[in-house]
Amino acid sequence: MQKTALAAAMTAAFLAPATSVAATDPEIAELKAMLRTMKQDYEQRIQALERRLAKAERATSAAQESAQPMNDAASKPMTAPSVSPPVASTPSPTTGGFGALTSGSAFNPQISVILDGNYYHDGIDGAGAALVGQAFQPSGGHAHAHEGEMDAEHSHGAMQNGFNFSEAEIAFSATVDPYFDAAAYLAVTNAGDVYLEEAWMQTRNLPQGLRVKAGKFLSDFGYINRQHPHQWDFVDQNLPYLNLLGDHGLQDTGIQLTWLPALPVYTLFGVEALQGDQELFGTTLDEVEQIELDLGDTYDGPRLWTAFAKVAPDLGQNHALQVGVSYAHNNQHQEVQTHAHEGEDEVHENGFAGDASLWGVDLVYRYYGAGPQGQGDFKFQTEYLRSIKDLDVRSSPHGELIGSNQTFTTDGLYAQAIYGVAPKWALGLRYDVLGLTNEVSGDRDESYGSSDRWTVDLTWSLSEFSQLRAQYARNDILVAENEREHFDAFYLQFIVSLGSHGAHSF
Amino acid sequence: MLKRLLLTFIGLVCLGNAWAAPLEVVATSSSMGALVRAVAGERATLSVLAGPDRDLHQLQVKPSMIRALRTADLVVAIGAELEIGWLPPAIASAANPAIQPGREGYFEAAAQVPLLDAGGAADRALGDVHPIGNPHVDLDPVRMVTIARALAERLARLDASGAESYRRAAETFASAVEQRLPQWQARLKNAPGVVLYHRDAIYLLDRFGVPLLGTIEAVPGVPPSGRYLSELAAKLKGTAGVIIFAPYQASKAPTKLARDLGWRAERLSLEPPLKADGNGYLAHLDLWVDAIAPRP
Repeated sequence: MQKTALAAAMTAAFLAPATSVAATDPEIAELKAMLRTMKQDYEQRIQALERRLAKAERATSAAQESAQPMNDAASKPMTAPSVSPPVASTPSPTTGGFGALTSGSAFNPQISVILDGNYYHDGIDGAGAALVGQAFQPSGGHAHAHEGEMDAEHSHGAMQNGFNFSEAEIAFSATVDPYFDAAAYLAVTNAGDVYLEEAWMQTRNLPQGLRVKAGKFLSDFGYINRQHPHQWDFVDQNLPYLNLLGDHGLQDTGIQLTWLPALPVYTLFGVEALQGDQELFGTTLDEVEQIELDLGDTYDGPRLWTAFAKVAPDLGQNHALQVGVSYAHNNQHQEVQTHAHEGEDEVHENGFAGDASLWGVDLVYRYYGAGPQGQGDFKFQTEYLRSIKDLDVRSSPHGELIGSNQTFTTDGLYAQAIYGVAPKWALGLRYDVLGLTNEVSGDRDESYGSSDRWTVDLTWSLSEFSQLRAQYARNDILVAENEREHFDAFYLQFIVSLGSHGAHSF
Repeated sequence: MLKRLLLTFIGLVCLGNAWAAPLEVVATSSSMGALVRAVAGERATLSVLAGPDRDLHQLQVKPSMIRALRTADLVVAIGAELEIGWLPPAIASAANPAIQPGREGYFEAAAQVPLLDAGGAADRALGDVHPIGNPHVDLDPVRMVTIARALAERLARLDASGAESYRRAAETFASAVEQRLPQWQARLKNAPGVVLYHRDAIYLLDRFGVPLLGTIEAVPGVPPSGRYLSELAAKLKGTAGVIIFAPYQASKAPTKLARDLGWRAERLSLEPPLKADGNGYLAHLDLWVDAIAPRP
């Protein structure tokens, strides 16, 4: 073996000079030149490769460096670029690419910050924004119980004439592990208070279309209840939600079970068990008042139960329709109603205790116009709410009243339509009314008038991430039994969204 | 009697199941639908969530989408954040663990091929940018072949009994593309170039070496200003080309630019018709080639 190799080497050594001898001088020069060019060529190629490698390395850390931002389309290469070094986009041969390509960073939750501010003006010295949430109804546990608490301070309706900063909403969401998703939404108010809007976890893996959500969340009662203020089509909340459920709607701590059966049409059923700490629908008074007014202790939770069903037939590419029916029951509601008799200074307090029920019916129809930037899109949305509080008088300066039963029924309705009049521009019209039925029945029989308003707005969505809105409302609010306030209210609002891409939910 | 009825019913249900396609597939767009039809054929029942006239980036969640995803065995998306606004929330609402990203039932076309425009600055002053890369891979027939093969493998994992048929169908699609490529290359060889509204057809242009002469919008997702358009017109004055824009993009700017330059402006969907299969997809590419190819 070694011998043959040696022989071959020797033969080569003898032959090599022979061939080179055969070559003439110019040929040698030519060969040398060829070698030189080849060397140069390869050096250049290697350099080019090194440059590409360095570029690829830079690109991986491009987010921090952002070395050469693309200024505009004009400064981009005139031809479509050739295949770029596939940085994060290389399909992984081992997994075959099960995942979703995303620029969301590794294990950090998706974060977005939404800023919501406005200029407000009404004809009654800025009192209007609060007044629309205090339309008269015979059962009014208004903020009495929560004075000085966070709820009262973080009121979406607390506007002054002039500039207002409603809130900065900070949202985090992520998949926790194979079993749960979770999200947290914080609202930071103008005064710097931080309010926990939502913080929940939700299952990912349950079979049969079941899902469980637990934590603090906006109930899926109705349609608009689960939307955050920046998702609304108008600056402010409609009268029925504002007056029957308060600034935050049904937002509570508890657990939700939903079931999406595999039926031919979209059908969703859900039930919720919630603690029941509500602003208006099922409030409880503090301990001192409970003893003073003989109302009894606050029950153990959960006190608030809801159930809802939604059905949405498939109407093809251009249309969508969803109808829903919802019910909520709070098995404890306490309130104190005050009155004074003519000619007397003393204020009389009647203590009421009982339970509260709420019915809701909602309908949403959408037309998708396929025009540029929302042009031609149309959305009609309407909900009816009916709140029934079944209360007993537990204490009263008028002894004969004690033990009597009074049922307080107040309902409300809103209907609104949004139309994309031009690319990025949408025009909205809303009518809302509270107190079509506004009465006390049972051992006391009284009926009151209603409050209503008309609202128009124009929304300019400059991009997916910013929105300007002008809104005008003509209000007719019943503020006391026989007293009305007519006023105009005007808003200019901005909403901007920083961070991860928002969801285009239904 | 009742027992016999019950037995007949059970029998019918079983038969029905036997006849039914083994897989239920949801495609986000009609190009992905065409690919599913090409690869899975009769072995999958297919629903397509968005028609070719829709902007896949702006689409909104509809309850009917959630319904379709609820029972799907596989969702086929273009991916790379194109459907970011609506597909993740729709999947999250569908209560179907099998189709969540990371599972076998989730397939992203863009995750199977190298992407263009990747690694740009994550700065929204530059518009609605997606540094992960340009997601519109479905207009490149060669990438679509890679995607079809990957899809066949995925379908084979979900439905092993059809593995052979999926792989065969993917190869049939591959050879159909291969057969057409030389014609397309020949026709587009001397194409003067294209002005697009958005950088959404660059995979096609890149594949056939057709120059992108500019975009109507200055930055992604933001309509152009008048000044930008007149600068663009001045820059392109005296050259040849064609302007192509999608049905959901405003026609005003493209038609004005076409008038100023004396060019054609063509409204052409990125996506094939809703009912397209593999051949429908190729026929749709023919339309693009017709639009771009130099006129005699």
